[in-house]
Amino acid sequence: MTRRELFKMIGMAAGGAAMYQAMSTLGYAAESPFKGPIDLSGAPKGASVLILGSGVAGMTAAYELRNAGYKVQILEYNNRPGGRNWSIRGGDSYTELGGYTQHCEFDKGLYINPGPWRIPYHHRGLLHYCKILGVPIEAFFQINYNAYLHSSKAFGGKPQRYREIKADYQGHVAELLSKATRQHSLDDAISKEDAEKLLESLRSWGALDKDFKYGKNLTSSERRGYEKDPGGGLTAVPIPSQPMGLSDVLDSGLWQGIPSGDNYDMQTALFQPVGGMGRIGEAFGRELGSVIRYNSKVTKIEQSERGVTATYVDTATGATHSASADWCLCTIPLPVLAQIPMNVGQKMAAAISAVPYASAIKVGLQFKRRFWEEDDHIYGGISYTDLPITNIGYPNCDYHSPGKGVLLGAYIWGLNAMEFTAMTPPERVMKAVEYGSQIHPQYKQEFDNGVAVAWHRSPFTMGCYGMWSSDARAKHYEDLCRIDGRIALAGEHASYLGGWQEGGVTSALDAIGRIHQRAVAQGSKA
Amino acid sequence: MKTRLALTLALAALSLGLSGLARADDSLFTSKEGIEHADGASIYTHICQGCHMPGGLGAIGAGHYPKLAGDPKLSSWQYAAFTVLNGRNGMPPFGLPPDQVWETRTVHLSDEQVADVVNYIRTHFGNNDGEAITAAQVKALPHPSAPPAQD
Repeated sequence: MTRRELFKMIGMAAGGAAMYQAMSTLGYAAESPFKGPIDLSGAPKGASVLILGSGVAGMTAAYELRNAGYKVQILEYNNRPGGRNWSIRGGDSYTELGGYTQHCEFDKGLYINPGPWRIPYHHRGLLHYCKILGVPIEAFFQINYNAYLHSSKAFGGKPQRYREIKADYQGHVAELLSKATRQHSLDDAISKEDAEKLLESLRSWGALDKDFKYGKNLTSSERRGYEKDPGGGLTAVPIPSQPMGLSDVLDSGLWQGIPSGDNYDMQTALFQPVGGMGRIGEAFGRELGSVIRYNSKVTKIEQSERGVTATYVDTATGATHSASADWCLCTIPLPVLAQIPMNVGQKMAAAISAVPYASAIKVGLQFKRRFWEEDDHIYGGISYTDLPITNIGYPNCDYHSPGKGVLLGAYIWGLNAMEFTAMTPPERVMKAVEYGSQIHPQYKQEFDNGVAVAWHRSPFTMGCYGMWSSDARAKHYEDLCRIDGRIALAGEHASYLGGWQEGGVTSALDAIGRIHQRAVAQGSKA
Repeated sequence: MKTRLALTLALAALSLGLSGLARADDSLFTSKEGIEHADGASIYTHICQGCHMPGGLGAIGAGHYPKLAGDPKLSSWQYAAFTVLNGRNGMPPFGLPPDQVWETRTVHLSDEQVADVVNYIRTHFGNNDGEAITAAQVKALPHPSAPPAQD
């Protein structure tokens, strides 16, 4: 079976999310190539680089180039650093395309990350900058065994605990496979010795009893949970719980949620910055200070044999200015860049126009109390559902705090994301509350306020991230990444880590390494 | 907040009502199956207006989404249908075969639906561009190509 056929099969069986996970598992989502701090020694005296965009890629480049002795300036469209590295907090306002303005009314200290929200342990580039910028990190839970897997079409719409679905699926599969082994159905495939080892491993993996059965007993309850937990004193005796039948588990489709922490990008440990993902962009912004010129909308990029000039409009005053340097690192997202006149060759121009941007939605919901902890005993992690909201993400911090709390009430891709984008922000919030209340009935009573970010309505990206098809990547990726004269591109779109901040970091380091080589080769004449 | 939310919703409903547009309802929200029977009006209000905005007004930020109301490019149905099928400058393609949309997380529209939404755009927002097109005309246009097999 070809890789594509395999993906297709998984896609039809389990939908896009599973497909993406499978692609990651099979090596499509590569490990970060970050190998430690970049060496840019020997920068020519007076050499300069103009950077367009103060997202993670642009600021990584600015930080390193400045430290290496280059004269650096960043032009940024927004009035803040970070780009998609962003947290919305109480008191913040956000105006999306179309002019809808939201005023976030979260309590002090509460936030939502509309963009990236987790950092795998192997994204060593981003973690390196967290460390040197003094941004503290804490654990992010991808898997919470007590969170829910929910299908509106199974178990009467009642959400099931992850641990129950996982234990029961695994237990029944182990029982079936051990039965086949003991009936000698696998004799052609494995030796007698291996069959015995396999049986022992299945008993352990599936929590089977001495007869290789998965049933209602203390062994299975140690995996799936008890009807009555063990305790102390006279009421101490545990009561085992009743596993679901195999066909109930299979029919529900909830097994699709089991591997959500198994692919490389989602494996423990994952992290989040304390106080919100936006802390990274804010720290970079403080570090770079006046290097960044905010409210600067680039309208033209022109290179000559001697250097690069960007024309930009100050969005606060309406005045037109220009900035020039020997080299330009452009991190502007492709849907925006494709509309900016820029004299590069046909190959890079074609690559810039070849990548559609994903539709994605995140909704942050503030509730009057942390009922998911108080009532449902869910501390961090994610519940998955077949409803359009797809996810409910619980805060991985401030456990047991007595005040209000903020959930990620929706995280959506594809058709449903497009449909949510087409709504007004208050409609999106209302829909997220309506759907989420099917999983947590407390929603209706406890809902306080919310914000909704639709990435295709983001004025500074016009989409979530670059969705390379394998066809487009084969045709255009290298042309996108190659330096054209004095202009190089960077950002997650110029990486194999699409949608991840690590793609921004590593593409920036790769591009400035190549700019540096050229600058050194040309010497101070640059 | 609740008062403000209610007020905003009322205003949103009012403004949509005034411009004579269908309000997004729940008909497509349950599953992917729902899209297959969507007509041009429904596709516009549930998908296209996410970027091109209610009333085809477009929007301007760091870049822009073209304003469809009064867009002279719509006089070419081929341009409009080709763009829906293949995307343009970051706009997702809607003409990929159903089994290939996962790769770019986009959505498949049939040739009939593409014709229908193009007809809708060309006869709304004050536009009055030529005769209605058919699925057969859309079928004759280039569609996005299948990605090569990977081993």
